[in-house]
Amino acid sequence: MMANIESQASSILLECHKITKSYSGVVVLREVDFSLKHAEIHALVGENGAGKSTLIKVITGVTPRDSGTIVFDGHDLPVDHTKAAALNLGIGVIYQELSLIPGLTVAQNIFLTREPLLPGIGLINYKKMNADAQALIDKYKFPLKATSPIESLSIAHRQLVEILKALSGNAKLIIMDEPTSTLTSSETTLLFEIIRQLKASGVTVVYISHRMEEVYALSDRVTVLRDGKLVTVLEKEQISPAEIIRLMIGRTLTADETKRAMSRKNGKPVLEVKGLTSVGRFYEISFSLAKGEILGIAGLVGSGRTEVVRAIFGIDPFNTGEVLLNGKPYKPSVSRAIASGFGLVPEDRRQQGIMAIIPMTKNIGVTNLDTISKVSWVSGRKEMALCHLGIDLLKIRPKNPDINVGNLSGGNQQKVVVGKWLVRNLKVLIIDEPTAGIDIGAKDELYETIQRLAREGVSVICVSSDLPELTRLVDRIIVLREGRIVKEFAEGHVTEEDVLKASSGILEGGNHDN
Amino acid sequence: MSISSLRRLILILLLIVLGVALSIANPAFLTMGNLMTLLQEAALYGIVALGMTFVLITAEIDISIGAVIAITSMVCVNFLVHTQIPVPLFVPVAVGVGALIGVFNGFFITRFKLPDFIVTLATRGILSGLAILIAVKEGGFVSNVFIQNPVYLWFGSELGPTHVVTIVFFLLAIGAHFLLKHTRFGTNVYATGANINAARLSGVNTNRTIIGVYALVGTCASLAAIFISSRMMTALPELGIGQEMDVIASVVIGGTAFSGGIGDIPGTVLGVLFLALIKNGILKLGISPFLQPIVIGGLIVVTVVVDTWYRRLAERMISQAALRRRAAANAAARA
Amino acid sequence: MTIKAFLAQFRLLFIVLALGAVLAMIYPRFLTASNLMNVLWSVCVIAIMCTGAIYTPITGGIDLSVGSVAAIASIVVNHLMNVMGMPMWPSLLITLVIGTVIGLVNGVVVAKFKVTGFIVTMAAKTYLFGLAMLISNGAMIGIYEPKAFLFIGTGRVLGIPVPVYIMLVITVLSHFLLKNTVFGRQVIAVGANDVTAKLSGVDPDRTRMIAYSISSFTATLAGIILASLTQQAYAVAAQGYEFNVIIALVVGGTSLLGGSGSVFGALLGAILVGFIDNGLNLMNVPSAYHPIVTGLVILGALILNTGVERPKWLKLPARPTKIVTRVEPHPGD
Repeated sequence: MMANIESQASSILLECHKITKSYSGVVVLREVDFSLKHAEIHALVGENGAGKSTLIKVITGVTPRDSGTIVFDGHDLPVDHTKAAALNLGIGVIYQELSLIPGLTVAQNIFLTREPLLPGIGLINYKKMNADAQALIDKYKFPLKATSPIESLSIAHRQLVEILKALSGNAKLIIMDEPTSTLTSSETTLLFEIIRQLKASGVTVVYISHRMEEVYALSDRVTVLRDGKLVTVLEKEQISPAEIIRLMIGRTLTADETKRAMSRKNGKPVLEVKGLTSVGRFYEISFSLAKGEILGIAGLVGSGRTEVVRAIFGIDPFNTGEVLLNGKPYKPSVSRAIASGFGLVPEDRRQQGIMAIIPMTKNIGVTNLDTISKVSWVSGRKEMALCHLGIDLLKIRPKNPDINVGNLSGGNQQKVVVGKWLVRNLKVLIIDEPTAGIDIGAKDELYETIQRLAREGVSVICVSSDLPELTRLVDRIIVLREGRIVKEFAEGHVTEEDVLKASSGILEGGNHDN
Repeated sequence: MSISSLRRLILILLLIVLGVALSIANPAFLTMGNLMTLLQEAALYGIVALGMTFVLITAEIDISIGAVIAITSMVCVNFLVHTQIPVPLFVPVAVGVGALIGVFNGFFITRFKLPDFIVTLATRGILSGLAILIAVKEGGFVSNVFIQNPVYLWFGSELGPTHVVTIVFFLLAIGAHFLLKHTRFGTNVYATGANINAARLSGVNTNRTIIGVYALVGTCASLAAIFISSRMMTALPELGIGQEMDVIASVVIGGTAFSGGIGDIPGTVLGVLFLALIKNGILKLGISPFLQPIVIGGLIVVTVVVDTWYRRLAERMISQAALRRRAAANAAARA
Repeated sequence: MTIKAFLAQFRLLFIVLALGAVLAMIYPRFLTASNLMNVLWSVCVIAIMCTGAIYTPITGGIDLSVGSVAAIASIVVNHLMNVMGMPMWPSLLITLVIGTVIGLVNGVVVAKFKVTGFIVTMAAKTYLFGLAMLISNGAMIGIYEPKAFLFIGTGRVLGIPVPVYIMLVITVLSHFLLKNTVFGRQVIAVGANDVTAKLSGVDPDRTRMIAYSISSFTATLAGIILASLTQQAYAVAAQGYEFNVIIALVVGGTSLLGGSGSVFGALLGAILVGFIDNGLNLMNVPSAYHPIVTGLVILGALILNTGVERPKWLKLPARPTKIVTRVEPHPGD
């Protein structure tokens, strides 16, 4: 189809109109409008679950949309258009898990499947490939060499190669999903330069990020999504981090519901963490946890929260610092943790939390082999009883203990993961992203469970990116940023905005204690 | 020097040391005749090793190649005994048999998503039975056909100071090298083996690539069958059965990794020579031939363990370096 | 057990009984004592191997060396008793220990050195075969004494051959090991998801090492019985048995990707393979052609089994297949 001259003139590159998408009956995108101009840097922001990733998947053809129109560069994209079609039109994506091949050079990665050939024979023209690659590199002034093997490159440089890959395919649009979560600040600065260069050469960049200062520094326009709907599109003059946050959260709730009183629990701490440091991951983490207290750990992706709790549970080692359990020195290891009454509900529920192909009874049973067995003989009866206990305590549905956990809904899967710890003599439960990808009903049930646990004297550490969850569920919040604790909310009222600002490094006057 | 270059150097040194040791132990080793025989022995299964290199680089395996050799030789024998079709006409057909089997293997593995070693194990069983089925028989017993067709025997004959198959092997090695390192297909092979997800995201048709490598090794196996049966001047349906380990050993010793994405043809050639030296050495030194499978099996385990361990070590060092870099940058930012 | 799995179990039983009935109708010779004896002894050896070999695929690996282990066992036990003159019971004990250690070595390489099971055991298959040939000088050694030893394979109690008792006992033991012990639960957990298993307090390395040890243990036992039954120690004897073991396991419901398995299913699978082999014999199909049928059976069983409940988003373990599972997005992304 011929490029529409009118769309060139109006400088609209992408026009999405009334995009709607549901997964298994849950509406994820609700008639979203999204448009991009030529040669602009456009940020796409929204909380987890707001629909950003889904919108991108619909545009890039990874998943079909239910309804709505997409016109890219004058071309109509059908409802079920493919990835290849999107690529051909010039839509490039750079995900967090990069698509580079180790063992190949920069040039080989850039031109994979499109390598220039010597005339006639079908052999790769390496000279031309390397020269073309280097030319592309030099055009954007990247600090790269076409012949370097990919393994020798840092993550930041690998991202650059991904960008070149997209550019070599004549991308007019490059979408970047959280590109800076694994970069140092100087690498980030370099990336910004490059993004500006891209804009200067006519490419549009869509930048998805939670980092407000970056969005503020880079973007020409910002699209804010919330709960699957378009909230607004901000122009450059209107962009300020605080404003974006307000729009992202923007719930019109009563004062009681928006602010939650923090309170520090007294009493001898169950768990004390002092100066915990793991070089490259987190530094000088110190906090204490009282009996029956729910401590929330907030922070952006990449701030080190998961790494901290993994170290406490004993999965990963750390360099310096100490952990005290009930006042006594404690050297973390997984087996010691479980024996001492710890439990961990991991962030990646599917790959680390459940065993999908086996039934609920075994999932719950495997963590409790000590209680359901005697001298190595497992009592099937006790295992089943334990499973039923878990089902009842957590209201797992369906109530059939023989269902393979992989066939349960996300919410029920999470309940199984929680359940296997719940039925033990728990002292400290660590939950990493308790309700990611879970329906409302299950969410509420889980919150109720956590609160009940706390009332019964179990201490809970709750790592979460879900702001309402944090502010409503926990007693106290510590905020991590780039591996360090930057703020503790322990008294008074705190709003979701407060938390997000602290996570983003925006502190304003009138703080709570510090 | 990179790890792989170092490894290659060590292999070359070991090769030289082994050669020297063998010549000292047995002066008859260093004669032209023996060396040429050694090269011929190496070349026969070396041809299969060339194809197997591709398979291993895609992180797959094919243990049916022995049975492919068996059935191809039986096909050839049938052509020789039961038909008048001239050799140059039926040889391409026989080679096509191997290619077809390879496609069959690749199809089952990719289309039905079945584990590679089980599929090729099953194929191995099926083909070995079929080989006996189509074998030329006399009175119900498989007869040991004595091949006399001079055109066919050319494949196993001498050529100047050396043998036909040796020349063919080295020519094929050069071709295989270009295929692997200088074509899009070869790059796709590396990509599929190194990171299949990334390869797909980048537009590589991994299924087609995998079927391709199986077809390739099947073709190599059937080609080898012709040379082997020609040289032996006979063919029995057991021909090649059990040789999979030798072929895999030479590829692995040559530096190709099981995990995929790593390996090349020069390495395989070195591995083929190394293995041939060992086998010839065991023979010439008069020690028990049963030592051969012990040495080969042991070599495979040792090589794979050392390679795997070393690569994990390297990976760990890279991630440590990355962490340290982040830490330094973090410290600099706070300063 | 889910209803589906229960019915699946029965389905296999029906197939076995049906095949037996068909064979009996077409070949009246099938039901004769001498023919059933033939079926029995081949089934026994394979079934005994299966009872231990099942643990390695459940953990996501495989043991291809069981045939060679059985061969070495037969040679070693004969060597101890008839060359070194040791009494029978210590010889049996030492042979079993040696066999188990061979498995432990495999397990260590798999678990600690992170090399995939199939290449470790395939190499083991090769060098153990070489070792067996070396010790026996490639010869088929007749075993004529001790008489007590021969009783193990050829003797009968209450009219039923001793190997059948051994097979039943060890099948029951293995069944309970898998279904009712801590180790059994751990094996399944490691195979289903070894990261989750580790986070739940299981030691995947230790579990794998024990699994490979058990596999070799039963292979050794099978080799001893084979030696007694055939009254010979021959390195070539059990070559290729791993093929039948795998078929029996797969047909019996064990997934090669890990996480599930059934000992009784494997027993039924072994019987099925025995019936197929016997049926082909009755049809006068030479045994050389049997692998054609059994090979097709493996492929068929595998293809049928791929319908089994693996959610699309589940990442497969590192080696077995190369196919990417596309991560299905879920609400909230």
